[in-house]
Amino acid sequence: MRVGPPLLGLLAVSLAARPLLPAWRSSREVLAPPGTAHPLGTNAIGQDIALGLLHATPNTLLVGLAAAALATGVALAAAGLAATAPPTLRAAILRLVDALQVLPAMLVLLFVAAFAQPGLAGLIPLLGLTSWHEDVRLALALIRREAGRENVHFARSMGASWSHCLRRHVLPAIRPALAALYVQNIRQVTLRGAGLAFLGLTDPRLPSWGSMMQEAMDHLYTPAWSWLLLPPALALTLFLLVLLALAEAAPDKDAAA
Amino acid sequence: MTEAPAGIRRGRAPALAMNLLARLAVLGLVALTTFALPRLLPGDPLQAMLASDHAQSLSLAELAALRERLGLTAGWGRQLGDWLGDLLRGDLGHSIRHARPVAALVAESLPWTLLLILGAMPVYLLLGALAGIRAGRAQGGALDRGLTGLVTVLASIPPFVLAILLMLGFAILWPVLPAGGALPLFPSDQPLVRAGQVARHAALPVAALALHEFARFYYLARAEAIGLSRRPFVLNAEARGLAPLRMLADYYGRNILPAFVARMSDSISGLFGAALIVEIVFSYPGIGGLIYGAILDRDYPLLQGATIIVAAGVLALNWLIDAVLAVLAERG
Repeated sequence: MRVGPPLLGLLAVSLAARPLLPAWRSSREVLAPPGTAHPLGTNAIGQDIALGLLHATPNTLLVGLAAAALATGVALAAAGLAATAPPTLRAAILRLVDALQVLPAMLVLLFVAAFAQPGLAGLIPLLGLTSWHEDVRLALALIRREAGRENVHFARSMGASWSHCLRRHVLPAIRPALAALYVQNIRQVTLRGAGLAFLGLTDPRLPSWGSMMQEAMDHLYTPAWSWLLLPPALALTLFLLVLLALAEAAPDKDAAA
Repeated sequence: MTEAPAGIRRGRAPALAMNLLARLAVLGLVALTTFALPRLLPGDPLQAMLASDHAQSLSLAELAALRERLGLTAGWGRQLGDWLGDLLRGDLGHSIRHARPVAALVAESLPWTLLLILGAMPVYLLLGALAGIRAGRAQGGALDRGLTGLVTVLASIPPFVLAILLMLGFAILWPVLPAGGALPLFPSDQPLVRAGQVARHAALPVAALALHEFARFYYLARAEAIGLSRRPFVLNAEARGLAPLRMLADYYGRNILPAFVARMSDSISGLFGAALIVEIVFSYPGIGGLIYGAILDRDYPLLQGATIIVAAGVLALNWLIDAVLAVLAERG
């Protein structure tokens, strides 16, 4: 099963549907339980939860897809550089990547987000650039496996450059594995992005599932927590499970091994 | 006989030194970021410091004098040099909110974080190993399918949601455990009672942390057990009808140990990240709570200092584990 079409389709549908949705306004019906007027209830300033979920969907998808694409791209570039570099440079890159991996991503995210309060445009580079290093070793192993094959040797002996070989011989061969890696990255950045939003460190004007869950924290001692917390939590968990199923269904699974 | 190990040792020491160098480079990067980021954004550290109500009546001349005294008028290079010098001398600055040295605050909160991590570690390692081995030995059976499905769902629930659900379940809807903090308002003087209080307060955060890490080690143990259950020596032992406990401990347990140890060294950063979130949800006074409080109070010196210390601590710990593993591997 191809990974791209279903995800991009979901993103396109949710983006296209957003102009059709009514605005996410506050109302006098504060903390109303789920009922006929508000199928999932309302929050502390009277906004409809179901409508909020729909408004937040394209943001979550967009951040996940774009940040993961950035992370996978940077990882691939670094791996490509390491694959074609002389051994000392390669060793230096790998050691740096290893050391970066030790640094808790959440620590860096908290620090940067505390100063910048990123919106949509800030979250994508922030999440992408704090996730790429986890994939470099895997991408390098894939590239080196493919670069050792006969077709590449042949192309090299015919005078093809490394960049040509990478583009025309290595990349097409590792595409399925990269797709699985990409889906894993979406999971990772979505979880981290939701964590940041939950802590209130993203732009407050950006509706997201994570920030909706934050509102539940003030209402844990009243029944309102159930309709404030559970709908966004279920939406997020469902999305992550769908991603897992997509990664499992990807044709080339040795990326996960 | 002595020749070979010496050769390995010669090969390891430079590698470890290079690893240390790379970690120092990353730490330098972190320090540079913590220095540069607040200065790249609008406003200066002084304005952030004076963002409280009672400090807003200062005149412009007083502000300029204060800026001069704090060394903020010097160029970036000078400021960076001074700051790095302080850092190397162990001076991490003063927290504005707490009006105390950052190092003291961090030293106070670090034990709480370590308590959570060290409390959760045996729980998720043991449970992950036991459940994973059981599932992996009967791969495809009802238990394996049910357990793996459950763990898959568990792994897709964000850690803070798990923490909130635990808090709701055991502290609010069914209030058997405290919902937050590390000690009651008036902690007991008697050490034994006090230890009990600490344990009660740590139970839920530890459970949340253990639940979060459980999935990772469950999958690992399951994969290893699937491989092991097909190996001849395990099949032979199975046929000999060894006691189940002996099979579990000597045949499976011992053989998945190396994989577990290797994964633990990788998972330290993830563990710290999860501990940060769990502490924030449970308002636990560990390093995560300290950092989050610093963010909410806009206490930037504290935020900078705590970030650097945690980064340095995690990098050092990981290097130490790697070094110990390398030495152990050398001994065989």
